[in-house]
Amino acid sequence: MPIHEKSLIRPENLITHEELVIDEVNVSGHWSTFIQPRVVTDYDERLQEEIAALPGGENIHRCWQCGSCTNSCTVNAINPDFNPRYWIYLIRLGMKEELVRDKEIIWQCVSCNKCTYACPRDVNPEGVMKATARWLELKGYTEKKPSAIFDEEFSAQVFAKGRIEEGRLLQRFFARTRQKLLQDWLVELARRLFSRLPLMLMMKLGWASLFHPRTRGWRKARAAIADYVAECEAMERQVLGLNGKGPSS
Amino acid sequence: MSSAPILVVGGGPAGLTAAHALASVGQPVVLVDKADRLGGAPILSGYAKLVPSGEWARDAIGGMVRRVEQNPLVNVHRNTTVAAFEGEPGRFRARLSNGQEIEPAAAILCTGFTHFDSVNKPEWGFGTYPDVVTTTQVEQMLSSGRGVHCPSDGREPERVAILLCVGSRDRQIGREWCSKICCTVSANIAMEIREALPRCQVYIYYMDIRTFGLYEDKYYWASQEEYRVKYIKARIAEVTSDGKRLIVKGEDTLVKRPITIPFDLVVHAIGMDPNVDNVLLAATFGVKLEPHGHIARAPTYSAMGGTSRPGVFVAGAATGPETIDDSIAQAQAAAMAALAFAQGGLARAAE
Ligand SMILES: Cc1cc2nc3c(=O)[nH]c(=O)nc-3n(C[C@H](O)[C@H](O)[C@H](O)COP(=O)(O)OP(=O)(O)OC[C@H]3O[C@@H](n4cnc5c(N)ncnc54)[C@H](O)[C@@H]3O)c2cc1C
Ligand code: SF4
Ligand code: SF4
Ligand code: SF4
Repeated sequence: MPIHEKSLIRPENLITHEELVIDEVNVSGHWSTFIQPRVVTDYDERLQEEIAALPGGENIHRCWQCGSCTNSCTVNAINPDFNPRYWIYLIRLGMKEELVRDKEIIWQCVSCNKCTYACPRDVNPEGVMKATARWLELKGYTEKKPSAIFDEEFSAQVFAKGRIEEGRLLQRFFARTRQKLLQDWLVELARRLFSRLPLMLMMKLGWASLFHPRTRGWRKARAAIADYVAECEAMERQVLGLNGKGPSS
Repeated sequence: MSSAPILVVGGGPAGLTAAHALASVGQPVVLVDKADRLGGAPILSGYAKLVPSGEWARDAIGGMVRRVEQNPLVNVHRNTTVAAFEGEPGRFRARLSNGQEIEPAAAILCTGFTHFDSVNKPEWGFGTYPDVVTTTQVEQMLSSGRGVHCPSDGREPERVAILLCVGSRDRQIGREWCSKICCTVSANIAMEIREALPRCQVYIYYMDIRTFGLYEDKYYWASQEEYRVKYIKARIAEVTSDGKRLIVKGEDTLVKRPITIPFDLVVHAIGMDPNVDNVLLAATFGVKLEPHGHIARAPTYSAMGGTSRPGVFVAGAATGPETIDDSIAQAQAAAMAALAFAQGGLARAAE
């Protein structure tokens, strides 16, 4: 069959023989180009089980492939390769290699939850995207993304003090992601804030950023939360078959 | 009340309902069935738990059979067909294959359907590989208590494929209709398999899922959500074997990719064909068939339960693929129409 749209085919699946004679006809070079079929030869139930065990992925088995998530998706409108419906299908059938191919697109979900409100089966596709990004990270396919680092900083502050303090959060986040602290937009934001905020509030903010106060009675809550988080993390690692610390594949 | 009986042909869910309805208002009935037992497909083919009641067929339909057999107003003839049916409204004469002659006031055809014979789709392996079975066979495995197993060696399957629309929606074999119940029955069977064999994965290959009305969440959604049955959009091209397991080939249309997947057991969700007797029945009773070969109905809005011949009525799967619930409702309606016809005939005779 002639190949009209070579661009749609992955280069590794295009096969050309330098020297090939079939039935005495010389079809060397591009005359012999053919596409390696990408046959599905087995189903693997474990991938769905793993994603379903991560927070957000619980309802993935409900998906009936209607495509409402993809059609409503903010990111898909910009990048047609961002396709939650398709990834959900790959996960459900256990097509891991295919999924991992898109590892640099999957995490780009902006958590707008448009898909969540469009999904007729309450799959919570946004949660599935989150779980999938987490899976890729835990399995060591992707390094930690800026959004994950931001989340970590955010949670770390909450765990420590029972509250967050924006200035410090941004400062830590920029430091860890090696971005300069005095971003133009941030300077502008601060300038406008200070010209408008009431005096009392500003004083409170200033005091808080100097002394990092803790929420009252936080100690107990903190211990309980720490336990819970440790428990969840251990559970995640266990379902993914990961032992010890740090990502592995 | 007329003393002339009403002839009911076929003792499945529809015929049993019509006979009971008529007898319950004092109308004598002659019930004729060619099989050696009453009950129709659910009993003759040994269905397991019915959709949507969840009752065992032998209990639910068995109860309908007893109710009719114990009714003195119903005269049951098993192993019997109708050899001739002649005359005019008010003066019908019927001769049964056992030689008996009756003069019925009206007749109701409840002659049902014939299961599609999967041998007519040889590419799907039925008749070639023992582990390719039909939904009827799985129903029998469940109802007999033997459990779902691979007929070749009796092992419990670890992976089951159910192929939908086998013998339906297929112009290649002249069957353009949807058999209506097989999606729901397949979802039900899939759940039963998952319940009995939790380690066994069940995959349903579909073109569309037609679990209509209230069957949607009860069967389609529940099978996915509670029983983790997987639905794959593909019409299978062929079923072969690698010597150990069955190999199912097709195209997964959602990822546009060929599939070659090993399975232990492949189940054909067989459709409902017109009764093989329909041409004969049409000739005997002088009624028309509709283009697919089912018994043609008079306009539903004005003559529910009617056929092309006044005085001859029809109900159930004889008219096309029907569920048991709908067959029962139609039979009740046809009984009412037949009774009105019989009494109208009496009135005409009295004038
Ligand atoms: C695998 C499978 C599973 C199903 N499961 C369900 C389910 O769970 N729930 C549901 O609602 N529906 C189910 N159905 C559909 C169900 O079988 C039909 O709705 C029902 O049997 C129709 O009843 P009936 O009385 O019209 O016809 P039938 O059940 O076919 O009864 C017809 C009767 O007429 C007799 N007969 C036929 N020809 C003649 C003749 N020439 N002379 C005398 N007697 C004759 C036959 O012996 C038979 O007893 C299933 C169908 C299939 C194929
Ligand atoms: S939450 Fe993510 S996947 Fe869902 S619509 Fe928004 S960007 Fe798309
Ligand atoms: S909207 Fe929901 S059901 Fe539809 S494809 Fe997306 S996740 Fe699946
Ligand atoms: S009910 Fe489902 S399986 Fe049966 S013919 Fe219709 S679409 Fe096919």
